[in-house]
Amino acid sequence: MDEKTEQRTETSKQKFSERFIKFHDKNYKLLLFIPVILFVFCFAYMFNFYQKNSDFIYRDISLTGGTSVTISEQIDIDDLRKAVSGKLESVDIREISDLVTREQIAVIVETKADKSQTQKVLEDYLGYPLVEGENSNFEFTGSVLGEDFYKQLLIAILIAFCLMAIVVFIQFKTLVPSLAVIGCAFADIFMTLVAVNILGISVSTAGIVAFLMIIGYSVDTDILLTTKALKRDEGSLNRRIFDSFKTGIAMTLTSLFAVLIALIIVGPFSQILSQIFTIMSIGLGFDIFNTWVTNVSVIKWYASRKKKNV
Amino acid sequence: MLPEKRKMFKLTWKIWLWIIVLILALISIFITPNFLQKGVVISEVEKNSTAFEQGLRQGQVISEVDGNKIENAGDFSKIISEKFSLNESVKLTIKTQQGEHVLYSNLPPEITVSNIPKTNLKTGLDLSGGARALVKAKDEKLTHSQINDLVNIISNRFNVYGISDITVKSVSDLSGNYFMLVEIAGATPRDLQELISQQGKFEAKIGNETVFIGGERDITSVAKSGQDAGIYSCSQPQSAGDYFCNFRFTIYLSEDAAKRHAEITRDLEANYSTPEGNYLSQKLDLYLDDKLVDSLLISEGLKGRITTQVQISGSGSGAEKSDAIKDAEAKMKHLQTILITGSLPFNLEIVKLDTISPKLGDRFTKYILIAAIAALFSVATIIFIKYRRLKLVFPPLLICTSEIIIILGVSAIIRQDLDLSGIAGILAAIGTGIDDQIVMLDEAERKESLTVKQRIKRAFGIVLGAYFTSAVSLLPLLWAGAGLLKGFAVMTLIGITFGVLITRPAFADIIKKIEEKNASA
Repeated sequence: MDEKTEQRTETSKQKFSERFIKFHDKNYKLLLFIPVILFVFCFAYMFNFYQKNSDFIYRDISLTGGTSVTISEQIDIDDLRKAVSGKLESVDIREISDLVTREQIAVIVETKADKSQTQKVLEDYLGYPLVEGENSNFEFTGSVLGEDFYKQLLIAILIAFCLMAIVVFIQFKTLVPSLAVIGCAFADIFMTLVAVNILGISVSTAGIVAFLMIIGYSVDTDILLTTKALKRDEGSLNRRIFDSFKTGIAMTLTSLFAVLIALIIVGPFSQILSQIFTIMSIGLGFDIFNTWVTNVSVIKWYASRKKKNV
Repeated sequence: MLPEKRKMFKLTWKIWLWIIVLILALISIFITPNFLQKGVVISEVEKNSTAFEQGLRQGQVISEVDGNKIENAGDFSKIISEKFSLNESVKLTIKTQQGEHVLYSNLPPEITVSNIPKTNLKTGLDLSGGARALVKAKDEKLTHSQINDLVNIISNRFNVYGISDITVKSVSDLSGNYFMLVEIAGATPRDLQELISQQGKFEAKIGNETVFIGGERDITSVAKSGQDAGIYSCSQPQSAGDYFCNFRFTIYLSEDAAKRHAEITRDLEANYSTPEGNYLSQKLDLYLDDKLVDSLLISEGLKGRITTQVQISGSGSGAEKSDAIKDAEAKMKHLQTILITGSLPFNLEIVKLDTISPKLGDRFTKYILIAAIAALFSVATIIFIKYRRLKLVFPPLLICTSEIIIILGVSAIIRQDLDLSGIAGILAAIGTGIDDQIVMLDEAERKESLTVKQRIKRAFGIVLGAYFTSAVSLLPLLWAGAGLLKGFAVMTLIGITFGVLITRPAFADIIKKIEEKNASA
C-alpha cells in the first residue's frame, strides 16, 4: 500500500465513522424500537409457550426424570427406534460418531421409563445383556428428584441474578445505569431462552448452568461500557462509547469464537458440554446486540439528559 | 545499552508472585506421594486373604514380582495370569518398598493394582468412569444425624463387600433435604443397586419365632473364605437346562442368640429322616427383606443345645456352569455382607443412578485437550488481528495457560474432582480472564496523557466490578441440585479469584514492561 491510498482509506474510514456518529446521534432513540419490538415478540412467544407447555423450557430427562442409556455398540438406529417406540415412554434415539471417520461410536437412548424397564426392552431387542461400565452407561433420574432439581436450579438462577443486581447497584450507585446493566443481563437470558425454545432444545441441568454463565459474560461488557461512558471525562461521549465498543466487541468475539470452536470439537461427544456451548454462543450473540444497540442508546440518552440538567 | 537491558529483565514483585504461585501449582499437581517410583500401586487388598496376611496393604507400590521389574498394571497382570494358568500351588514373591512378601497359593493374590498416578489430579466419574448414586429415604425426611448413621452403615457394607475405591457422603440441597451420595470409581459392581438401597433385613425363623437377625448384636462373625465358606456342589437337574450351584458358609452367633435357638428347638420333635440322618420337624427359615430365601433342616443333635455355630446355605443359577458359580458367589458375598452389617434403619430409594464407562472417558479427554488448544489459538488470532503486534499475543496466552495450571493445582490441593462441569467451569474462568486482559490491553494501548500505570489502574476498576458480579452469581450453585454442579462453581471461583489476585496484576506489569520498552524505543 503506498502512502496515497493509505491516506485515502484513512479519510474514507474517518468519513464513515463521522457519518455513523452523526446518524447515531440523530437516531439513537429510534434504534431503541428494535429491542422493544424484539422484546414484545419474545414475551408473546414465551406467553404462548407457557400456555402450551405450562413450563418455560423443554426439559430433558435430567430435569423430568427418566433414563438415558449410552450403548457403545454398532446399532442400526432406525430399526431400533421402530422396535422400541411403542414399549418405552417418549423415547428419543441419537447416535454419536467419530469426528474424523464418521464411524458410529455409540447410540444414546433417552426415555421417561425407569432404568430396569428400559434395560429390559433394549436387551430384548439387542439379544445380549447390557453390562454397565462395559458396553453401556446408564443415567437414571427419579421423577421427583428431577422436578426438585429443576425448581432448585431456577431458584439458583434467581438468587444469582439478585446478587448480581445488588453488586451492580453498589458499584454504580445510580438508578438508570444500574438498571441498564441488569436489564441487559435479563434481556440476554430471556432472548436466549426464546431462541433455545424455538430451536427445540431439551435443556438439561448443565444447560441451566449455561444460563448462569450468560449472567457473568453479559455483565462484563455492560460494566465496561457504563464505567467508560459515565465515570470518565476524557474525550467526547461518542469517543468513549466507541472506545468501549472496540474493547467490548473484542471481548465478546474472542469468547464467542473460543466457544464455537470448542462446540465443534467436543460437542459431538458430550451432550453436557455441547449444550453449555450452544446456549453460551446464543447468549453471547444476543449480548452483542443488547449491549451495543440497546444499552448504548440508553446510556447516551441518560448522559445527554444529565448534561442538560447540569 | 547494558543498564537498559538489565532494567528490562527486572521482574516486579507481582510477576514474582505469579511465578511462585505457578510453581506451587505445578508442584501440587505433579509431586505425588509415589513421585519417581516405578511399579504399580495396590488399590485394593481383600481382607483375610493370603495377600493381606503376608502384609500387602492398600497404597503400597509393587516394584518387582519374582524378580521381574513391573512397570505398569499390564506387566503385573501378565505375570500373574501366566503363573496361575494351571491350578497348581506356586510360590510368588512380591517386592514392595516395605520388603519382600512371599505367597504360596494356587489362586492369584486377592489384590487389585493400578498404575501409579502421574499427577495428583483426580478426574470425576464422568471422565474416569464409575458409578454414582444419589439415595434418599422413602417417604421420610431424614435429619442430619440420621443421614450420617446411614452413611456409616453403607460405608461398612461396601468395606465388608470388598470395594474400597468408594466415597459415601451426605449431601444436602437448597431446600434442606439430605441425600446420601455414593460414588464408585472403575467398574460397576453387579449388585450395586441392592448393596446401596436394599434394606437387608435378615431374619432366621423357626415357625413364627425369630432366632436371630443380621447385624452384630446376634452375629459375632461370618466366615468368608477357607474351609467354612464356599461353593460345594453344582448340578444340572435337566439336561439342556440351567445349572445350579450351592454355597454354604458358617456364622457364629452371640450367646443370647444361641440360647434363643436352644429354647425354641427344645420342644421340637425329631420326626424327619433322610439317608444322612434325622432332622427336627420344623426348619430354620431364612428371610431377606421378608422374602424366604432358604429353609435349612436342623439336625437332631442340635435339639435344645446352645450352639453358636450355624451353617447358612443358598444357591445360584446360570445358563453355563461358570455363570452359575459366579451367581452363587455373588449371592453368598451379598448375604455375608448383610449378615455382618445388619439392616438399614430406613427404607431407601435410589433417586439418581449414573454409570459411566471408562472407555468413552479416555477418548473424551483427548478431544477436550484438542478443543482447549484450538480455543487458545483462536484467542491468539483475534488478539493479533486487533493489535497487529505479535508481542502482545504471547502475554495473554501465557497468562491463560498459567491460569489453567493454577486452577488445576488448587483443585488438587482441595481435592476437588475434575469432572465435566468442572471443565466447563475452567472454561468460564479462562473466558473471563481473556475478557479482563483485553480491557487492560486496550486501556494500556490508548494514546493519552495518563501514564500506563494510571490507565491500567483504571482498567482494574472494571475488572474488579466484573469479578464481584460473577462471583456472587456462582454462589447458589454450590448447593443447588444436591451439589452435583458444584464442580462448575468451585472451578470458576478458583479461576476468577486467583485471576484477580495473582494473574491479572502480573499481566498488568508485563504489559507495562512491554509498553515502557516500546516507548523508550
